[in-house]
Amino acid sequence: MALDYSALYPVLVMVIFAAALPAVNLVAKSSRSLAGVSVVGILSSMGFVIYYMLNGYPAMMGGETVLLLRLDVFAALFALVFQFVALYVVLASARYIEKDRHQAEYFSLIMLATSGMIVVAMAVDLISLFVGLETASLSSYALVAFRKRDKRGAEAAVKYLVIGGMSSALSLYGISLLYGITGTTNLEGINSGLAAMSSGLNPAAWLAIAMLLAGFGFKVAIVPFHQWAPDVYEGAPTPISGLLAAGSKKMGMVLLFKVFLVALIALKADWQILAAILAILTMTIGNVVALQQTNIKRMLAYSSIGQAGYMIIAIAVASQFAVESSIFHIITHAFMKGGAFMVVAALSYVALGESIADYKGLGRRAPLVALSMGIFLFALAGIPPLSGFWSKVFLFSSAIDASQVVDQGWMVWLAIAGILNSALSLYYYARVVKYMFVDDGPTTERLKIPLSLSAAIAICLVATIAIGIWPEPVIDLCEQAARALVPLLG
Amino acid sequence: MFENFPILSLLLIVPLIGSMMTFAAGKHAKAARYLALVFSGITLVIATLIIMNFSLSAPLGTEFQFDEAYDWVPMLGISYHLGVDGISMLMVFLSALLVFLAILFSWDVEERTSSYMGLMLLLDVGVLGVFTALDYFLFYIFWEVVLIPMYFLIAIWGGPSRAYASIKFFIYTHVASLFMLLGIFALYFTASPLLGAPSFDMIEIASVSGDIGHALQLIIYAALFFGFIVKMPMVPFHTWLPDAHVQAPTAGSVLLAGLLLKMGSYGIIRICVFTFPDITVEAQVLIAIIGVLSIVYGAFACLAQTDLKKMVAYSSISHMGIVLLGIATLTDLGMAAAVFQMFAHGLITAVLFMTCGMFQHKAGTREIPLLGGLAPKVPVLSTVMMIGFMASLGLPGLVGFVAEFSVFTATYDFFDLWVIVPIASVALTAAYYIWAMQRSIFGSLTTKIDTEHIHDAYWFETVPLAVLIGLIALFGIYPRLVMDIIVPSIPRILTGVI
Repeated sequence: MALDYSALYPVLVMVIFAAALPAVNLVAKSSRSLAGVSVVGILSSMGFVIYYMLNGYPAMMGGETVLLLRLDVFAALFALVFQFVALYVVLASARYIEKDRHQAEYFSLIMLATSGMIVVAMAVDLISLFVGLETASLSSYALVAFRKRDKRGAEAAVKYLVIGGMSSALSLYGISLLYGITGTTNLEGINSGLAAMSSGLNPAAWLAIAMLLAGFGFKVAIVPFHQWAPDVYEGAPTPISGLLAAGSKKMGMVLLFKVFLVALIALKADWQILAAILAILTMTIGNVVALQQTNIKRMLAYSSIGQAGYMIIAIAVASQFAVESSIFHIITHAFMKGGAFMVVAALSYVALGESIADYKGLGRRAPLVALSMGIFLFALAGIPPLSGFWSKVFLFSSAIDASQVVDQGWMVWLAIAGILNSALSLYYYARVVKYMFVDDGPTTERLKIPLSLSAAIAICLVATIAIGIWPEPVIDLCEQAARALVPLLG
Repeated sequence: MFENFPILSLLLIVPLIGSMMTFAAGKHAKAARYLALVFSGITLVIATLIIMNFSLSAPLGTEFQFDEAYDWVPMLGISYHLGVDGISMLMVFLSALLVFLAILFSWDVEERTSSYMGLMLLLDVGVLGVFTALDYFLFYIFWEVVLIPMYFLIAIWGGPSRAYASIKFFIYTHVASLFMLLGIFALYFTASPLLGAPSFDMIEIASVSGDIGHALQLIIYAALFFGFIVKMPMVPFHTWLPDAHVQAPTAGSVLLAGLLLKMGSYGIIRICVFTFPDITVEAQVLIAIIGVLSIVYGAFACLAQTDLKKMVAYSSISHMGIVLLGIATLTDLGMAAAVFQMFAHGLITAVLFMTCGMFQHKAGTREIPLLGGLAPKVPVLSTVMMIGFMASLGLPGLVGFVAEFSVFTATYDFFDLWVIVPIASVALTAAYYIWAMQRSIFGSLTTKIDTEHIHDAYWFETVPLAVLIGLIALFGIYPRLVMDIIVPSIPRILTGVI
């Protein structure tokens, strides 16, 4: 039987454009025209996804025994998130890298990284999952190292490569253990294999859980696997920091969802408490350390760690409502955190420093950009009626909701920890806002932000506000996605 | 009139649009001023139209009127539900009035005028929303929306230690709100199964809240009550208020004391008493004690102040204590008097903060020991200050007297001779006001400051003050105008209590 490739079309489009970009570079020399071509690529890939969303999804890709990729509403939703992230990263990069060399390769790598992420979202098998993961990871190592003459960038890239390599190795080891136990690499197959086994403690399964949690935990930057993140986010070109925080990190969440909530759901009782402890640790350490940062990118990196802690709540709670809320938070986070990084990129493009103190008096120097930053930060803090408020409310209420089930009373602590952390985080977000609008800077000279960077910020801003005012459609999609991912969860 | 017209939504949208347009005015200070004035004026007109069409006759007078309900996030039972009864009606009118007058009073703000005016209008949206929302979720959103403009008003246009005061205000009240949010969620998750469908609707939840387990009711009550008394603020959670008030710009203080504090007491009436009558009865004595403690503590603290504005700030704690005491009586009279006191305090405190601001502005200081004998120099200002102080200490014929008298009558009915404690502190109130007045505007002319160039009130200061004083006298002489609106709605709040 011939393979049906239709599920792969959105990815293929991206890959073709990625391959074509270096050739295009022979004719179009400027970074802006290269970005334009990339935007066309991303938009047409998006078009495929939206077409499938409206007209029904294609058949699962794979043979009779080996299933590889499935484009369902979950995959489509995440594909759209990754494509949006790629879109604003490309827009922001159009001017950001205009003085660098190897521009075509840069855009090409962004496209490849994104296609890897989409493959992860579609994967129904550990092998295809791993292929997608590596495609995305290898491209992003190179992107972090893009400014190879910049010492911080080079250091960040080496750290990222070494730690990333180790995490891949760990997760591959976990995958091989699971294959050894169950004899399959199919996610649902693993689950039924595990469920069929005697319920006693299986040391090999435990080891597999630990390996996978550590391996994917590095990608998401869960405490205690988080130390690379601030260095890498700080050292990478700022749009790429945005790609890592808003794209790559979300891919890590998808990995955790697929492995824990689909493949390992039979062993739920074994890892739920562990995930809860990691969630609380991650959100607390991320937010506490963020309090004392003086570099804005490091602060955003630690805040990302804190936010990842909120998302992990879904793994600990493991109810359909929680997964839905976590997906919702992933979407809102992609725009608010991405937006904040785009603002940082725009400001460093106009030669403003990356220290938080450099943002003093920004409200007068670049009012609209400062206002957008304020909105992103307030959204991250969870101030209503912005998007981040809704998703946090959903997440915390899913924990409270689940705590009413017998034996799950402890879950209410997840919500309490989350709320206390939100209060804490407000302090460092509000501090930046205060610097921008209240304090006077050394100069009041206006900053002129180029159009493409403004467009990138605008995409995030519109999404953050629109989801805040009218969350319903997105929530609906998240509900469908959660149902598609884990049909069995209550 | 307005049967099917979403007039309450209009009331929220007008200042919102105004706020955006005012922000957009950018460097054009003059345009920003007029835009803000016009939009807050339209808001006031709408509020007045609503109050004129507010039905006082039974049974309509006891219901929520101008009701609007649309699904917002049906999956979670969140709705956009607005409506007013007598209690919120008065607060809505007070909000629209004070914001309008505060904007007029700030006519001479030169620094970043458009942002200033825009924030005032945004604050208006939040406060009006809090007083009209009938859905917990919506209520919480508006509650939080209020914080942000007030934070900026203090942080940008405030006094010398504005940075500290603003962040303290923000964090303190935000943490309190988060406790409230936890309470709201606990309530939502326990009430929804009882209702059979998820719902954040205040009225629906109140209909089943009695069936929630007693211990859980207590916890939820504590979380909500804590959120509200921090906002009011009651001793011992009042420490953010003196800082915030002293550092806030004058109009900011007016709105902070006149409206934001009322959100706390409004929450207690609308949510704590209405939803948890049983717990309220159990906690009655404790609530009364907190109220009396605040009355007495606030009054003593006033005596010790040398800064006029700080004195007025502490007097707010004392006067909001009277509100809480009125609520604690759980009688029709006490509750109505509490609402009346909220309204009266809103009018009076606005006058007081405006005069304090004018002293700062014209004499360059608010330190009582530095002032003295200024009455001949600034006759209008001094007269206004005198009337404000008299109204605040409860002179018969002015609005403050009616409120305090009714609260104390109700207190006597219920707590018997214990009423002597709060009444004695009213004597303290008279003492600190008259003493402050003596030292600042009477006696021999001060030599410690330059009094040569002191200018009396400008027109944009006189007009709001005149309006406020007119209302203070009007409602003092003829309190029925207000009481008629409040009284029909009280039994509904107290249904579960008796």
